[in-house]
Amino acid sequence: MTAGELGVVKCETCNLVMRAPGDDAECSRCGERVVVRKPLSRCVALVIAAVALYFPANVLPMMKTEQFPLHRSDTILSGIKFLWREGSWELAVLVFTASILVPLTKLLALGFLLITSWRRSAWRPRARTNLYRVIEAIGHWSMLDVFVVSLLTAVVQLGRFANVEPGAAVLPFASVVVLTMLASASFDPRTIWDGVREVQHE
Amino acid sequence: MSEVNLDELPAPNVRQHKRGRPSAIWIVPIVAIVAASALAVRTYLRAGPTIYITFESADSLEVGKSDVRYKNVPVGKITDISITDDLKQITATVQLSRGAANLAVEDTKFWVERPRIGVGGVSGLGTLLSGAYIGVDVGSSTTKAENFIGLEKPPGVLHDQVGKRFRLTTHDAGSLVVRSPVYLQRQQVGAISELALSPDGKSVEMEMFIDAPYDRDVTDGTVFWNASGLDVTLDAAGLRLDTQSLTTVIAGGIAFGYRDADHPGKPAAENTKYVLFEDRPHAMAKPDTVSLPLAVRFDKPLRGVAPGTVVDFDGTRVGTVDDVRPGYDAARGTFFTDVDATVFPERLGAAYAGLVSEGTRTGKTGPDMLQALVPRGLRAQLRSGNLLTGTFFIALVLDPTAKAATVTPRDGVWVVPSEPGGADQIQDQVGEIVSKIDKIPFDQIGTDVHDATRAASTLLGHVDHEVVPDATKLVAQAQLAMAALREGLAAIRDNVAAPDSPIQQSARSTLEELDRAAFSLRGLADFLKHHPETILRGRDSGPEPH
Repeated sequence: MTAGELGVVKCETCNLVMRAPGDDAECSRCGERVVVRKPLSRCVALVIAAVALYFPANVLPMMKTEQFPLHRSDTILSGIKFLWREGSWELAVLVFTASILVPLTKLLALGFLLITSWRRSAWRPRARTNLYRVIEAIGHWSMLDVFVVSLLTAVVQLGRFANVEPGAAVLPFASVVVLTMLASASFDPRTIWDGVREVQHE
Repeated sequence: MSEVNLDELPAPNVRQHKRGRPSAIWIVPIVAIVAASALAVRTYLRAGPTIYITFESADSLEVGKSDVRYKNVPVGKITDISITDDLKQITATVQLSRGAANLAVEDTKFWVERPRIGVGGVSGLGTLLSGAYIGVDVGSSTTKAENFIGLEKPPGVLHDQVGKRFRLTTHDAGSLVVRSPVYLQRQQVGAISELALSPDGKSVEMEMFIDAPYDRDVTDGTVFWNASGLDVTLDAAGLRLDTQSLTTVIAGGIAFGYRDADHPGKPAAENTKYVLFEDRPHAMAKPDTVSLPLAVRFDKPLRGVAPGTVVDFDGTRVGTVDDVRPGYDAARGTFFTDVDATVFPERLGAAYAGLVSEGTRTGKTGPDMLQALVPRGLRAQLRSGNLLTGTFFIALVLDPTAKAATVTPRDGVWVVPSEPGGADQIQDQVGEIVSKIDKIPFDQIGTDVHDATRAASTLLGHVDHEVVPDATKLVAQAQLAMAALREGLAAIRDNVAAPDSPIQQSARSTLEELDRAAFSLRGLADFLKHHPETILRGRDSGPEPH
């Protein structure tokens, strides 16, 4: 038995249980917006935005380093390659995980969850819920690159000899991370189970 | 907990909102897509054309690292380096940036900038640390191109330099190289931009670039000379050291000026050809417009005469020897030497002008007049120019006392008979001296000298043993004698020279006595002048003389 099946809805803010509204409504007690399900469209829009910005974030240079007399301009991938070749493979793995693997996993996972929810799939709802928990948990860790660049930019300002400047990819990359976090927050995991209910009904 | 009647639950307040309007959240992906596409478009637009440059080697060029710089601004990157199909060169693929698309025109030049220590100083020092880069000099053409042949050295002249190019030809470029400076009044106004052997390999052709506004100083009256190295002149005025600048000492250089400084002439057109003279005196010399072959036959072998030997007319250098040929006169059974030379009679200046004007009156040409000098005693002599270095020159001298000589005139050739010259005489004299020296009995002299030396050494031994001790005694005695002498002299000094010495005293009183006597005599003389009769008559009792 779910709240939906009972035709009731709970206010997320003040926990007042009400009859399920037919449409957009607000809590009769605290005025919070009350919906049966958060709309998928919101999450879809954010994921699309994140995917769009994912390309410039990886293609454009992330960090421009000037270490007299060498100029380097690194994208995320070339930076990882550089770290790997220089022997700092632990760092390379760390940066790869935080900057490539996590955002990519999040985008793919969200996409997968959105599609299955939209199709009201009843396929392994429990596993999908776990997946959602994972992406909620790891979402914050992708900002590593952005933090590194911001920190280096602030610290390494030795004029001609060594200089670090943020590249054009910083903004798109930070946006990707923020957008995926917002997207995962706006995803309503209850939609995972909606298909399950329908299956039980039949 | 009791059963809950679901229908008694409160109903939420239905919100009024406009239907059919899409949620505001869709603005986010739209903005994201627009931003991403804008970045993509910008990146795409920033990428310019791809060009291919071939070089001899990829020395110090690196894919992804080496860039292309125009006026030291990066305008592109090497994206690939490959070997050409014939395996002889390398091709660097360069991705130019969008703003630099106009660089890729037909006559653009590319070269690899490496650290260089050259004539103009040290260049490309920055590349020591940063690695080499490809330098660009943009051409003026408007035709786009994508295949270029890279230069191995930076070009001497960049395209945007204002000025003019001129061409120079010389037989000996000396130490001149590309970028050797060109001087006007010791100021650098340009540089050699190209230097190459002529196709026949006999001369060196150079292209130089004179910067504006000095390009106007290159006129039709300009002469160029090689100002390389030091010009040390030792003449009657003393030692003179001449150089354009320290750079020319090391790296060579070219200077230019005018034969007639007051009338430099009109500015020359671009690519005018000039001859590079070996030095300033040659450049400033009047050009030789009239040349005349000279033929002289010497009745003996000539040592020290070769092509290039100077022909001198009364102290003026009028030409040089072209050819020296030994020959055999079967009729007389003697050997002889034919010397062919080229002379420039105009170097004789007013002397030749005088001959020519004399000739025009009688309808003869200048060469005719020169040939006519032979019956008047013109002879060629071989003379020694420098006894130390053994250089010779051929002197043309007018010797009215010369023996009559006949020459077979040849058309257009100045045929001059020879006579034994100073050099021959000196040679003969030297020969005589040598033979005299030869006759000196050096062996005998040596033996005699040896004997004399031995006798002398015996004598010296004698002196050592017998004379020296005596001499020592003698010296001691002499010293004693000297001391005695010194005492005697002191006594004399005391007696004679001191103011109160007896001799001085008596001498002074004697002198005073004499003085008085002289006074009396003067009185007597006066008296006698007034009373001459007293000599005869004696003095009467008149007044006393005063």
